[in-house]
Amino acid sequence: MSTVIGIAFGNTTSSIAVEKDGKVEVIANQDGDRAIPSTLSYVNTDEYHGAQAKAQLVRHANNTITNFRDFIGKPFENIDVSNCHASAHPFNNDGEVAFKITANSEEILSVEEVVKRHLIKLIDSASDYIGKPIDGAVIAVPTDFTEAERKALVSIAEKANLKVLQVINEPTAALLAHASAGNHLPQDKITVVADFGGSRSDGAVIASRGGMFTVLATSHDYTLGGSNLDEVLIDFFAKEFQKKFNTDAKSEPRSLAKLRAECEQTKKTLSNSTSSTIAIESMAGGYDFHSTINRLRFEVASRSVFEKFTSFVEALVKKTGFDFLDIDEILLVGGTSQTPKIANALVNLFPESTKVVAPVTDTKAINPNELIARGCALQASLISSFEQEQIDESIEPVVTVAPHLTKSIGVQITNGTDKSDILTILEHDTALPIRKSKIVVAPQAGDALVAIFEGEPEIVVTRIEAPKKDESAPADDEESDWSEEEEDDEEIREKIVKAGKKLAEIGLEGVAPGAKIEVILNITKDLKLQVSAREIGGNGVAVRGVVA
Amino acid sequence: MSDTLPQLPSGWTAPEAFASFGSFTAPNKRAVEPVGPAFLAHARRTLHGRTWSEDEK
Ligand SMILES: Nc1ncnc2c1ncn2[C@@H]1O[C@H](COP(=O)(O)OP(=O)(O)OP(=O)(O)O)[C@@H](O)[C@H]1O
Ligand SMILES: [Mg+2]
Repeated sequence: MSTVIGIAFGNTTSSIAVEKDGKVEVIANQDGDRAIPSTLSYVNTDEYHGAQAKAQLVRHANNTITNFRDFIGKPFENIDVSNCHASAHPFNNDGEVAFKITANSEEILSVEEVVKRHLIKLIDSASDYIGKPIDGAVIAVPTDFTEAERKALVSIAEKANLKVLQVINEPTAALLAHASAGNHLPQDKITVVADFGGSRSDGAVIASRGGMFTVLATSHDYTLGGSNLDEVLIDFFAKEFQKKFNTDAKSEPRSLAKLRAECEQTKKTLSNSTSSTIAIESMAGGYDFHSTINRLRFEVASRSVFEKFTSFVEALVKKTGFDFLDIDEILLVGGTSQTPKIANALVNLFPESTKVVAPVTDTKAINPNELIARGCALQASLISSFEQEQIDESIEPVVTVAPHLTKSIGVQITNGTDKSDILTILEHDTALPIRKSKIVVAPQAGDALVAIFEGEPEIVVTRIEAPKKDESAPADDEESDWSEEEEDDEEIREKIVKAGKKLAEIGLEGVAPGAKIEVILNITKDLKLQVSAREIGGNGVAVRGVVA
Repeated sequence: MSDTLPQLPSGWTAPEAFASFGSFTAPNKRAVEPVGPAFLAHARRTLHGRTWSEDEK
């Protein structure tokens, strides 16, 4: 048995996880952290990693390396250095990205070297915990990582003595972890995976069809992340400090670094508590700073940032052409997704039928910070018994690229649970070939018609008129504002499936009234649709045919 | 409420009780994510050319 792990490698934090006996565990490093800062720091002759390295940002910012994941496999001219302004600056080393460290002596570290050292630390923690050397790992990257960047990561890992079994997409890893934990892997659904990290936001719309995942659309915002919320708090407290002591805490890098570290902590505390204190000894100009902030105040101050998270999801859904009602689930991923306001705003924006999965909306939700590493660990254990050649062969386009249904296909029904004409058997965006069946009921009066149609989704809007209010009644401003909303007619939007193109009909004669009928749709490799229907438990034979 | 089939119209006939009206809308080529147990089964089927029913046995 080989020992394999999953690695989530973010610009801000990394996590490692392992699957054992069907259970996934996220591994804490030697400091006890499960979200391990992707940070290295060099002080004198010492190398620090993780939270210990991050703590050096106050005193040794120039020798502390952060936010390097997105530099992997990129030439210097293609990178965005703005996330490194408060840490070691990347420089152009003959076209390659590198950092200059002046701890013990001057040393130039290529980004490859930095990534390698970071991976070594992660592997160390994992093998320490498991008690065995690590034989391989599945690592996740954002969907916008190019093929060349993925290859670069694999070859750096090799230099760190780590065999990468497979590089997978972050949102897919997160969805795999979520669906496996909830035991709803085979369910057909459309999920928006919204990953709000530290420095960036990534989104993907994924169709799950019988446990197969297909990414339908992606989007990225490289200027939106948890650090935007830190900035709001930095400004908020710097203003307060300025008022109190007439001193600018932001003008001196060390003061600003202290404030930034405490603000991030305060922000995290506000995810679990409704208020938080902040205390910084000798913050600037020799003054100590003590203050408190409550969650509401934070939410008001960060309103424009929160609106960006919401519009990010909204824009992604618009990009797919889906209606909000088509979205079954929004899976919130990434450290920032622990912020209650983000999940709550999405609950308000989306219809009730869209499940928002986050700690604040679902107590059973997995920590959004751990989803990616968990998914990687699951995938690692699934493929650990295969030869590398087999794994590589299975991720080739001849295997992964498949025709997908553009429209759903189902059977005509008369009194379904909604106003639909069609009970969907095969959902749109299902990969082919596929075989699936559903059970329906024969009519009370005699023989049954099994009519197979393509489904056409339709949104039905029902207006419920609000009761007229007394026009003459005087009201103060606040009250009239409130009642204006109440006065609006309510709209109920529902998604139903109408009959589109007719594909086939089967006549089922001699079935018992109310009998259970199984309708099977099978689309073969050469894209032929086979339809069959049979009475369950009855003695009638199955009727079948091929649609031409 | 259960999903009930419509009644067979009187006089409905088709050879061997099956009538074809035309095939489904042309599918799109997309890539499935090479992740999860269902994908591994799909890969096995694709690489070894097995059909669904053979795979289920
Ligand atoms: N409990 C919490 N509440 C709110 N924010 C949190 C919490 N825990 C962590 N965060 C924030 O989450 C962010 C890090 O998220 P994550 O670890 O997902 O990032 P990443 O994917 O490594 O980063 P990047 O987006 O830069 O690649 C940080 O901004 C951190 O402050
Ligand atoms: Mg991330």
